[in-house]
Amino acid sequence: MALTETDVRGIAEYARIALDTDELAEMTAYLNDAVAMLDPILEYADADVEPTFHPIGDLANVVRADAADAGRSLPIDEALKDAASTRGRSFRVPSILGEGGDC
Amino acid sequence: MAWIDSLSAAQIAAGVVAGEFGATEVARASLDAVECRDAEVGAFLQVSADAALEAAARIDASRAAGDPLPPLAGVPLAIKDNMNLAGTRTTCASQMLASYESVYTATCVQRMLDAGCLPIGKVNMDEFAFGSSTENSAFHPTNNPWDLERVPGGSSGGSAAAVAAGEVALSLGSDTGGSIRQPASFCGVVGMKPTYGAVSRYGVVAFGSSLDQVGPFGRTVEDVALAMNALTAPGRDPLDGTSQEFAVDFCEHLDDGVTGRRVGVVPALMEAEGLAPEVRRAVERAAAQLEQQGAQVVEVELPHLDAAIAAYYVIGPAEAFSNLARFDGIRYGYQEEDCANLAQQSALSRAHGFGREAKRRQMLGAYLLSSGVYDKYYYAAQKARTMITRDYARAFEQVDAILMPAAPRTAFKHGELSDPTQMYLSDLYTISLNIAGNGGISVPLGLGEDSGLPVSAQLVAPAFHDRELLTYARALEVAFGAAPVAPACAQKGGELA
Repeated sequence: MALTETDVRGIAEYARIALDTDELAEMTAYLNDAVAMLDPILEYADADVEPTFHPIGDLANVVRADAADAGRSLPIDEALKDAASTRGRSFRVPSILGEGGDC
Repeated sequence: MAWIDSLSAAQIAAGVVAGEFGATEVARASLDAVECRDAEVGAFLQVSADAALEAAARIDASRAAGDPLPPLAGVPLAIKDNMNLAGTRTTCASQMLASYESVYTATCVQRMLDAGCLPIGKVNMDEFAFGSSTENSAFHPTNNPWDLERVPGGSSGGSAAAVAAGEVALSLGSDTGGSIRQPASFCGVVGMKPTYGAVSRYGVVAFGSSLDQVGPFGRTVEDVALAMNALTAPGRDPLDGTSQEFAVDFCEHLDDGVTGRRVGVVPALMEAEGLAPEVRRAVERAAAQLEQQGAQVVEVELPHLDAAIAAYYVIGPAEAFSNLARFDGIRYGYQEEDCANLAQQSALSRAHGFGREAKRRQMLGAYLLSSGVYDKYYYAAQKARTMITRDYARAFEQVDAILMPAAPRTAFKHGELSDPTQMYLSDLYTISLNIAGNGGISVPLGLGEDSGLPVSAQLVAPAFHDRELLTYARALEVAFGAAPVAPACAQKGGELA
């Protein structure tokens, strides 16, 4: 069943990408074309094989001691230099809840 | 004196070591070539002249002091703009990162610099590597040096064009679905996607974490082998959990020849709809050449390859959606001002920071990972990945390597493929390797008799048999000649003083 603009509005909210009316129509058309292109993959849904999630089969998580590594830590000034908005030693963001503006 | 574009990376390094010219002269010649050629080609987003000249001065000082020089001493290098180099901007050709200044250096870049390369600058790409033409750059398109009205391929189009134009001898690209091999084909240079895990991805902006791999472009097979040595010789990178030990000398068996080797061709791929006759004939000539040099050419089957594009456009967007979630406009990147709350700031920053194709891919990924859809597509795609990987494993029980096209056609004109789903089909011959993880190399075969544009073949080997790929590629280079600089660019600036 084809995706509607209402569906795509919900996906955009999930993806945190604001779309205007024109973009919503264009994105809906695109997603329906793109999903149709994926049809050949559905033949594999019931294939009697294990899925392969990664080319390196025995990949393991890399863990280290839960301690700061000074050699790999950025100085605060460096960490903040690419942020559009900072305050003191922190990144500055608007209100997280509601519409309280800057915080 | 010579023109910088008449020398391979190996010849430049040898000339610097022998004192025929200094690394500083090389840097100046390369920067001059960029100055004279790049207004038309548009490969570069940023020229790092100071960094290149400083690196060159260090090499010249080392030589003057009698110190041993590294293997790529004085070789001009272009770096795809999704790779961090401290002191430069790393934009991914996106407004999202237009002013982002790297705070560290990617391992792959550092290794090339440690090997003596001069960082001439950062080169153009499709935004966040989403594309096959470099038309998706937020800043400007890159033109194919062989025909400026045509695209260089993508997403590493700047990397391929800078080498084809003779602006640099080597460049780095990244390949998630063909983004090294397809632009190498369009621009008539050698481009290698190593086996997944062979080259560290630390410091490379991630697109598809189970698919991305960094690799080199050059005009000769030897240059690409030298770059592979630089990228892998220091061993696995502890900063990348997927990095693998790959201790081989890629230059050691370049001229071993192909006598007794078994090379597979896949009839279904040679008869595929959309394969240009001139490309098919070129690949057939390559097969005949390998046979003439002593290889045995046999037919093999890869029966599940028809699912590769669909599998890729499930796995790639899903991984891209996860990876690009980090661009929220807070710690770095474009930030929308005066928003009511954090959610609105994120949504508007991402809406205005990302370009059209970047938004499309993320939206597709978000849809495919959403409840109820995930089970239907994502598992099916990963099962197809199993089948495609098995196909290759079975084929490599019969043959040592597989020969196939790298791209279905020669470079197309700007704007010619405006439908994104049609554009996706240009990666028909490259995508399956990213799914399976093994390495491939695009080798130029001269010019197509219909278009007059570069044509190529792709060689594919089992995982971590990348050195053998270079031996086959060298055999084709001997037969078809090394990649020339695009004629319109050759000797246009860049004389060694």
